[in-house]
Amino acid sequence: MKKLMALTLAALMLLALAACGGNSGNSGGSGDSGAFTPTKTVTWTCTSSAGGGSDIFSRKISEIMTNEGMVNGQTIVVSNETDGAGEIGRNKIATMKAGDADYNLLTFNSGDLMPMVQNTKNRASNFRILAIMAVDKQLLFSCPGSDSKTDYAKAGGDQNDFAAAIEAAKNGTFVVIGGSKGDDITTYNKLLAEVGLTDAQMSYITYDSTSDAITAALGGNVDFVISKPAAASQYVESGDLNPVLALSTERYSGNLADAPTLSEIGDYENVEVPVWRGVAAPASMSDAAVAFWSDALGKVSATDAWHKEYLETNQLLDQYMDTAAATTYVTDYEADYMAENGIS
Amino acid sequence: MENFASLLAGFQVALAPENIGVCLLGAVLGLVVGAMPGIGSLAGCALLLPLTYKFNPTTAIIMLGALYYANMYGGSFSAILLNIPGDSPAITTALDGYPMARKGRPGQALMTANLSSFIGGTIGILILTLTASGLATIGLMFGYAEMTIILLIAMTSISWLIGENPIKGIVITMLGILVASIGMDTLSGAPRYEFGNMYLLGGIPFTPFIIGCVGFAQVIKLINEREADEKKRASDDSKQKLSIKQSMLTGHDFKRILPPVLRSGFVGTFVGVLPGSGATTGSMVGYAMQKKFKSEEPMGTGAMEGIAASEAANNAAAAGAFAPLLALGIPGSGTGAVLLGGLMMWGLNPGPLLFDTNPDFCWGLISSMYVANIFTLMVAILVIPFLIKILSVPVKYMIPIITCVCIVGAYSTSNSMYGVIVMFVSGIVGYLLDKNGFPTAPMLLAFVLAPMLEENMRKAFIASRGSLGIFADSPLKLVLLAVFLVLVLTPTVKAVRKKLGAKEKTPV
Repeated sequence: MKKLMALTLAALMLLALAACGGNSGNSGGSGDSGAFTPTKTVTWTCTSSAGGGSDIFSRKISEIMTNEGMVNGQTIVVSNETDGAGEIGRNKIATMKAGDADYNLLTFNSGDLMPMVQNTKNRASNFRILAIMAVDKQLLFSCPGSDSKTDYAKAGGDQNDFAAAIEAAKNGTFVVIGGSKGDDITTYNKLLAEVGLTDAQMSYITYDSTSDAITAALGGNVDFVISKPAAASQYVESGDLNPVLALSTERYSGNLADAPTLSEIGDYENVEVPVWRGVAAPASMSDAAVAFWSDALGKVSATDAWHKEYLETNQLLDQYMDTAAATTYVTDYEADYMAENGIS
Repeated sequence: MENFASLLAGFQVALAPENIGVCLLGAVLGLVVGAMPGIGSLAGCALLLPLTYKFNPTTAIIMLGALYYANMYGGSFSAILLNIPGDSPAITTALDGYPMARKGRPGQALMTANLSSFIGGTIGILILTLTASGLATIGLMFGYAEMTIILLIAMTSISWLIGENPIKGIVITMLGILVASIGMDTLSGAPRYEFGNMYLLGGIPFTPFIIGCVGFAQVIKLINEREADEKKRASDDSKQKLSIKQSMLTGHDFKRILPPVLRSGFVGTFVGVLPGSGATTGSMVGYAMQKKFKSEEPMGTGAMEGIAASEAANNAAAAGAFAPLLALGIPGSGTGAVLLGGLMMWGLNPGPLLFDTNPDFCWGLISSMYVANIFTLMVAILVIPFLIKILSVPVKYMIPIITCVCIVGAYSTSNSMYGVIVMFVSGIVGYLLDKNGFPTAPMLLAFVLAPMLEENMRKAFIASRGSLGIFADSPLKLVLLAVFLVLVLTPTVKAVRKKLGAKEKTPV
């Protein structure tokens, strides 16, 4: 008798378990009900290596999402996929099949879009742009205390005065600017066009990262270096770097306030190239999932942790855009970039 | 003196029980990770980084520092025993280490590597302690032109590895340069030799290429030697047994390795400090330099001096690489970049102010390097008898084991099968090349050094607007250039003098 009871009980429990499983299966995914709730592990692809800026961005957001209980108790796994300079990871997301697509996110920045458009057939339209989370701008810095290794420095040029450098370049003294790939090159090209110089007069040296470019400036290998405020901030504080020009429509605050904008030093328009950090998803992600993630990212951008631990530490501007606004923004940005670089 | 006081305070931090614990853990893990081909310090640190987020920053960096450090020891194990460099700095160790092990002295070869690593590392750490931030500033004096000449000096080491047939050697060197140029051009971002393939856009990944060319090629070779090995095993039952005692170096051995170790220790530290060149360049420069000095046996045939020069230099460079990282926030190597990312995750701001704002952190790290160095040496010596056993494993078991290790190592570099494919292809190519009398070592060195050389040289030319004058316009450059010319011209001058001498003698 006892045995039978136990068996019945066991069978009942099994049934209950199966029912639970079935239930959660129904409520999850992009069911007919409309709303999406994640019911399995989410993969967040980051096409840069661990420890870098994009990686920290991805991990911080997933940390906040998990801690604040926004993802229904599911885990988010950040996967660094750096093959093919990141193009493989981006292509994988772009071509992902529906279903899996709801559980895949991708860190997507202006610095990712530019080489992608240059070197592959993928375009922003092959993704769902979920949100833009932050925007950054750049400045031009110099390192006045360094050894003079460049023509401009050897000729006694004033490294704290960009107007003087423009003059010198026009008169035949060679000026060198250093910076990272992607965004910085675009900014350099715009700056060059605005002040009316050629790259034979004011040249650009590409570095793997901003920190490499700053190293070169500290060693006196370049006259000026393009950097975002966060990467240069410590060096400004220690007096190693000096902010020379704000590549922005208005001056910065704090210890960068001394740097004038381009329109202040001559008859030029201000040059500003926004560097944005966003999140994308496969094109096949369901509308319900897109709404869910875009909304969740909006909630992240409103948390204290995001402001204190991410935006403030990295000196970024808070600029959340939801999926609609971000899609328009990125599409326009891409069109501009392609027009400027003659890509069809 | 101020540095010394800070160091003592640092020891207080490093000798806290939990820090000693993680240091020991880092040392053991580092040895294991370093000994596995492919999972070098870069991958090791990257894998462990997430584990350390919950630690306080000082404890975390001590563990990673110990790991990085022990890696340099571990890398030499598989290089000496199996001819498979565990990581790229060990390529030059394999050149003499493997022949020496084959000559029946594997124990002494490992001991030489361990001791040289220890002394080289200690020299590096001592210099780091004494000069701290000053050392990093010296590194900054080196611009592109100086780096170009230094890389050219490192490149001369290739000429010693070319072997009997110079034409084959040059062909293989060029092949290495060609393979290295696949992928995106670092300066202009233009794709090269990618043939519309997205994977090739990112270039040929370094670690799978090396594991394939050396490790997997070795496996194919072993397959061919299998029968011979079994016959040999059947004929002589005398199993190799080695204790630590038998691995000890004699006084004479020690005298042989001391001069190269000291030279390489200093040079290695210095190379490590230079921005963008890590332990790999260090060991190559150390090895190239040793070629210029007397060795009892010819280099490349199992000379202790070769192992010593290479191992001392790479450990010293690993220590030197910390100077720009701590003093300026500049990563001196790939591993340095991962550590830098770690510093930021822990909420520290790496940069010129780190020594001022977080002295306990900086000095804790430096003093933990002393502790890590001693721990690693002890562990490394204790494992020698076990390691030697690897040599007595029958070839038929070794083949699948090494293949597995190669696959795992290749996969772990970017967590994708691409690395594994690269590993297999380069393994087969490496084997065919070797079979036809093309030495693979020059290809690997060219593969490592050529991209750095290209980058620095092109930057120098951009800065000078194409003028060659940039390579000779300061005393420092002239000195470096003179060193380079001496290295390149000595053999020619020697040959000419010999000929002249012979001519003078013949009439008599």
